[in-house]
Amino acid sequence: MGTVSHVLRSISSKNFFLIGSRRCLNYSAIQYDGTADPAPLFFNDEVQSLLRLLTRVDYNKVFRKRKLGKNQLSDPEYKFMTDAELKESLKEAQKKADELLQIPPVVKIDFGKQRILSKDPALNGISTSRLVFTDITFGVKDANRLIVVREPDGTLQEAEWQLKKRMNQLYFPTPGRLLKPPRMFEDNYLESLLDRQEYEFILDRACAQFDPHEEEYQRIASITYQHLNEKNSFDKLRSTRHFGSLVFFLVWNKNVDNLLLDLIETSNIFEADKLVTLYSQINSVQVDGDSDLNRVENFIKTYANKKGALELALQSYKEIVKKQKEVEQGINIAHGIPTS
Amino acid sequence: MAKQLLDITKVFQKLTLNSTRLVTSPLLRLHDTNVEKNAFPTIISIRNTSFFNKLPADHLWKGVTTVSNAGKKRGRGKTISKKNIKDLNRGQSLGMGKANMVWPGLSAPIIRGRELVQQQKLPEDPEREKKLIELRNTMGTFRPTKLSPMERGWSGSKMPGRSIGAPDPIGEETFEGFDTRVLELKIVFNMKGNFGRKRRNAALVVVGNGRGLGGFAMGRAQEPKNALRKAKNRAAQKLVHIKLFKDHTVCHHFFTQFGSTKIYVWQKPEGYGLRCHRAIKTICEVIGIKNLHAKVEGSTNVNHIMKAFFLGLVQQKTPEQMAEEQGLHLVQFCPESNNFPNVIASPTECKEEKDLVRNETFDFNHYCFGGKVVLQKKHPAPFYTKLDSYMEHLRRCERRRNHDEVKLNLRSEYGEIRSFLTDQHPECVQFKKLKEEETQEAET
Repeated sequence: MGTVSHVLRSISSKNFFLIGSRRCLNYSAIQYDGTADPAPLFFNDEVQSLLRLLTRVDYNKVFRKRKLGKNQLSDPEYKFMTDAELKESLKEAQKKADELLQIPPVVKIDFGKQRILSKDPALNGISTSRLVFTDITFGVKDANRLIVVREPDGTLQEAEWQLKKRMNQLYFPTPGRLLKPPRMFEDNYLESLLDRQEYEFILDRACAQFDPHEEEYQRIASITYQHLNEKNSFDKLRSTRHFGSLVFFLVWNKNVDNLLLDLIETSNIFEADKLVTLYSQINSVQVDGDSDLNRVENFIKTYANKKGALELALQSYKEIVKKQKEVEQGINIAHGIPTS
Repeated sequence: MAKQLLDITKVFQKLTLNSTRLVTSPLLRLHDTNVEKNAFPTIISIRNTSFFNKLPADHLWKGVTTVSNAGKKRGRGKTISKKNIKDLNRGQSLGMGKANMVWPGLSAPIIRGRELVQQQKLPEDPEREKKLIELRNTMGTFRPTKLSPMERGWSGSKMPGRSIGAPDPIGEETFEGFDTRVLELKIVFNMKGNFGRKRRNAALVVVGNGRGLGGFAMGRAQEPKNALRKAKNRAAQKLVHIKLFKDHTVCHHFFTQFGSTKIYVWQKPEGYGLRCHRAIKTICEVIGIKNLHAKVEGSTNVNHIMKAFFLGLVQQKTPEQMAEEQGLHLVQFCPESNNFPNVIASPTECKEEKDLVRNETFDFNHYCFGGKVVLQKKHPAPFYTKLDSYMEHLRRCERRRNHDEVKLNLRSEYGEIRSFLTDQHPECVQFKKLKEEETQEAET
């Protein structure tokens, strides 16, 4: 995948204003709105498996008890099971976990195209309002649904994406989605949510309300990722579907130092190495080395922004490993096991 | 013998009244002066026999304040109640009166030290009258003792349901963290040929430490207090260990029976609380069960309910025992955790599919209740649903069925209730009743 050229890619920061909302966030939105398209890279199998690996699936967190909008917990069901049945049900749970941890797609901002179907000047002035026609055939996907508008001047054209989304929501409501975006996404409310570190809640709600190619979704997600990265609270999103998108965002924007530091400090050198591999794939750079530690060391030397902190962390990691080895050897000697 | 009697009569013959010596009592002296003033003596007829001097004071008092059983049956003594009875003699004693007199030999000793105490009048005590009135006011206004809401039992200040503290320590065992709750306190009678009907108090209590230890006992005594103490200390000697599931509920659903009292008990998740008969609830609180549902069928005799429930608790199996008995894994599925198979217990050796008989008892609930099925009655619809007026009400309300939600959404979005015409006609706003202060301001 290293052949994809990223010379033309540009990351433009843009302040996105909501009508009537006060600007008080310290972060500006970083959206996928340049010429480079992240989608082919993101949907690459290798990248997907790396992202899934870095998510570090913990079933206790994935299947933790959640409130289902009821006042009370419901009665648990008990079953007697044989070994085979238990194995089967665990396999099913694994499948469910894969579904639950599906990473929200990372795509370029897309406004869609408004195809003009016909121009009928004879119908000019037929009405003072626009007339919307929606095909409500059962079983058609929302994206493929035909929604057209007859303009007052007689033009018949496809509806713009906002209108399409509204009509789809009107006729085929998606659960958790409102006709107007909830006010929690306005800056002053969003800030308070971020201060409370409710990252998963924000991202879940944003996923329900918006489509991945929408500008607003990318604004909210990018602000949340930046806040989280600054606060170093990666554990808040680990084992959730949003961790993959977060890692992709950080790697795409060449801002992996905090995450790398977190991984080294928690002695997850294998994952740190995988992060370096992901970085080299997405940013098409070469990082050499014969072992995990070596590759991470080389990466820090050439591409890291916070070299000092990272090198210190790596040094302390090496010392810990060394001491552990010494202790192990001591124990072996004490037990009379010959050491190689 | 006759000689002795003769001697005594001789002695009496010698005794005479000395009329020459005057009596020095001041009262008698006063009387004498009055006699001198009134030349004509008044005739006062005295009848020396009446029930006032025939009966002792306590008999008289009883006659006024009570009514016999036979009389009650005839309807007598209807006005007699504790409210109306005031013993005006209370707080008063012979020789102490309004005039603060010292009466040697009555209200004071005759000789104090070496001196004879003189009869004299002391200054009046202004407090005395007040105290008496206060004492009289307290009579006839009896109120049962009021308990704080935390101390109350099942019903007011009655004992059942109330806590009576930890059992008394035995040697070094101090029963720390234990609590005792009363389940029953009643009067019981015993009939004997020579004693007749003998009444005693019987107390039924349950003791526990809130962490899985519990015991119960009955104590009998003349006084309720003693009965409670006896029962409490006896219960502390009969503690049993009760298995809890995750320290908050019973290990599994179960059915239990004692006599004709049948109890179905359901295990419940955290936050459910105790929804059962009050006696079962009290027992659970003492033992440390926090969530449970129970249904009592048959007799609701507290004694039997308690015994049936304890039997059921003691006979519980731990999840490990159940898994071992069935030779299968016991797996829990919670909808809240997306039905993830949570293995509660595993057997040492798991059975194969071919060794299994999949009959009714394979179902966990069926296994727990021992084949018993609870009758689940359908709630009858309220009577008014059959009325025509109710249908009319439904018809009228139908168009308003979502208004609450719409209003809430409007408030959250615009901060007010508005319509699609509000932009065109801003003067049309929803009528809002002003508060009193605001109306006054508006007028001025």
